[in-house]
Amino acid sequence: MLRTLCFKSSTSAPTFLNFPRASFDSPFFFSSIRRFNNHPSTMSTQKHTVSTHDGTPQITQQPLQVAKRLEKFKTTIFTQMSMLAIKHGAINLGQGFPNFDGPDFVKEAAIQAIKDGKNQYARGYGVPDFNNALAARFKKDTGLVIDPDKEVTVTSGCTEAIAATMLGLINPGDEVILFAPFYDSYEATLSMAGAKIKCITLRPPDFAVPIDELKSAISKNTRAILINTPHNPTGKMFTREELNTIASLCIENDVLVFMDEVYDKLAFEMDHISMASLPGMYERTVTMNSLGKTFSLTGWKIGWAIAPPHLTWGVRQAHSFLTFATSTPMQWAATVALRAPDSYFEELKRDYMAKKAILVQGLKDVGFKVFPSSGTYFVVVDHTPFGLENDIAFCEYLIKEVGVVAIPTSVFYLNPEDGKNLVRFTFCKDEETLRSAVERMKEKLKKK
Amino acid sequence: MEEKLSSVAKTFTPSPIQELSHLAQRCNAINLAEGFPDFSAPPCIKQAAVSAINNDFNQYRHVQGICDQLALKMNKMHGLNIDPLTDIAICCGQTEAFAAAVFSIIDKGDEVLLFDPCYETYQGCIAMAGGIPVYVPLDPPHWTLDPEKLMSSFTSRTKAVVLNSPHNPTGKVFSREELEVIAECCRRWDCVAITDEVYEYITFDEQKHETIASLPGMQERTIITSSLSKTFSITGWRIGWAIAPASAASAIRNIHVKITDSAPAPFQEAALTALSSPTKYFETLRIEYQSKRDFCMKLLNSVGFRIQFKPQGSFFLFAELPKDCLLSDVEYVKELIKQAGVVVVPGHGFFHGKSGSDQPSDESFRHQKRYIRVAFCKSEATLCAAAQKFGELMNAKGSPKLHC
Repeated sequence: MLRTLCFKSSTSAPTFLNFPRASFDSPFFFSSIRRFNNHPSTMSTQKHTVSTHDGTPQITQQPLQVAKRLEKFKTTIFTQMSMLAIKHGAINLGQGFPNFDGPDFVKEAAIQAIKDGKNQYARGYGVPDFNNALAARFKKDTGLVIDPDKEVTVTSGCTEAIAATMLGLINPGDEVILFAPFYDSYEATLSMAGAKIKCITLRPPDFAVPIDELKSAISKNTRAILINTPHNPTGKMFTREELNTIASLCIENDVLVFMDEVYDKLAFEMDHISMASLPGMYERTVTMNSLGKTFSLTGWKIGWAIAPPHLTWGVRQAHSFLTFATSTPMQWAATVALRAPDSYFEELKRDYMAKKAILVQGLKDVGFKVFPSSGTYFVVVDHTPFGLENDIAFCEYLIKEVGVVAIPTSVFYLNPEDGKNLVRFTFCKDEETLRSAVERMKEKLKKK
Repeated sequence: MEEKLSSVAKTFTPSPIQELSHLAQRCNAINLAEGFPDFSAPPCIKQAAVSAINNDFNQYRHVQGICDQLALKMNKMHGLNIDPLTDIAICCGQTEAFAAAVFSIIDKGDEVLLFDPCYETYQGCIAMAGGIPVYVPLDPPHWTLDPEKLMSSFTSRTKAVVLNSPHNPTGKVFSREELEVIAECCRRWDCVAITDEVYEYITFDEQKHETIASLPGMQERTIITSSLSKTFSITGWRIGWAIAPASAASAIRNIHVKITDSAPAPFQEAALTALSSPTKYFETLRIEYQSKRDFCMKLLNSVGFRIQFKPQGSFFLFAELPKDCLLSDVEYVKELIKQAGVVVVPGHGFFHGKSGSDQPSDESFRHQKRYIRVAFCKSEATLCAAAQKFGELMNAKGSPKLHC
């Protein structure tokens, strides 16, 4: 008989303003105009009359009360901004997905798979050929030899890998350490799993890991630590030294590590290092990644989690209830993609570095304080030279008066104050778009 | 490291079906177990997906047109007024829609009623959300709903009822009377109905699929989940949805965004083509599946089965083992693989034991090991091959040789 999870309502929940919110990088912002009614998430106060069979009216409460864990899901600032952006015809350097498309050879592979009839349920944890290709790629990237059938799980994007890892491996009340600023699905899925979040803030200019703070946060009570490298939104890449320090703390305290490495192929200023490849770490690490950023096909939703069998088991259980199986034709195409020659990845890096140069130089010329970004296609800047009171006010101003979209980073922190001076720009756009955005800012953004 | 597994992960055990799958593979068995077609998806829908990929619909996407078409369909089929802008969440298959629906309304300790036998996945979701599954048995041989059993299963902690109709594994389509009973309970106990309607277009004879949401007082307390998978034979594309009052749909959408962010973009585009299929497509679907159903029934009758419950919908047949067969369902399935080279699913995995507070006798649970589930979502060639294999089982006198 299935034992039920004991869900404790999290008394250590983040404050109201910082509760999980829809990701800015999700499709609901810019791909459609949505009328978001500001419905309260519980409808319990409304009553209405219902006639019963014998005609006697019965006053009932409106029944659809949303679970307590979601009480704080409301229309987000991002949604409001996205509507503003469309209204003002702003150039979008906020969205975390490309405005150009993926390579033809991968698209053709997907088309072929559809035509060949590969349209039914794939094996739940991945099409065997794809798992094999993932294992081969992992070996190439880290030197580690893994079993594709026991240690690789395919998911609907890295987002689902994260959700499955949290729900499959975290018990309610478990302590998990997060580094802020963080991709917002981390906080949301951790709260769905009932975890106690301990947050360590990375600060400009280099967003280095505050080792002393980490040492006092981590203990034998810590269940897991979640690391995103290369890091969204700052572009920071965890150094070998930082990873070694974290590794020894994890070994000492028997802590699991969840690594989100989706930008690993967009590592510009240094080599990407996988925590799993450090001595003693593979056995306690879940390494997550996806196709989307590397191959500019973010809408295909092909991700994966690589972990030793005893951790993979938990991830697979949760995955089987979350989505059961991942898109079949896209897995076949992804198999082809992963076998791309080195030249593909080299060209990818070159292209992105050229785009980055345009944006970074442009932002500096405009007058932002630009922090160094070693990887990902994001860069964060300090907007305070322009005299707006916080990041949200600045972004609104940027849309309305200048016609460019950036992301206010305060929403990536547990404490919004920590992010109020920073905004995030992306350079995953074609060069013309980047240049136009820079021009608009040069023209209309004036220092105070 | 074993102690690092979450409490939920530790309760899951390897599936006996896995063992059977391996046996089936070794024997190269004909597969009437898996619940997905072995024939092609409709060409025009595949073409739509191909065009979408070529036309660069490959980034994160929400295709509002799907919601518009679903709203039209729900109005046409069930008379429901759905707001396409607020009442629909597109998800990665009905699986994700259901998971998100459960996470959206189930708090720790909430009880959720499920009709037994039932599809395995529901309880896993409910457990992950901290809910407690409570099983209401349907009565064999016709899987009828006993209102007493249903009503006595409600407590002050009951939050929701899960309704899968047309039903996997039995092929039952809940009648209007049964829907009324469930609806009345939901209204009286102020509960939510979460439906799984993936087989909504696969009903037989004069049977029509009705959604419980169309009953009085139910739309505001129902979350409908469904998908393209079974209707269009594209189970691998992962396009599904939840339809619910705006506050729940919004919560489901927000959760979906945290679980997967977006359903596969090119297939969302192709969904537009699928959902605008002419009426004739759906009629043909029914007719073809009905003839497969009939073929399958004949097949089983020829090897000694006496099917008491003819499927009214879905593409499953839930058949009780012949009275003179002394094997359990698992043993029978093994024998069928070895002797006839055909694989089906043993039924006991769909049952969940005791229900309510009555202490059941062993006798009343014997039936749980006496059923097999046969999937007839297979090509003519596959079904004929199965028929031939079954034919070989017959001895000279026309009785099945299957050692029973």
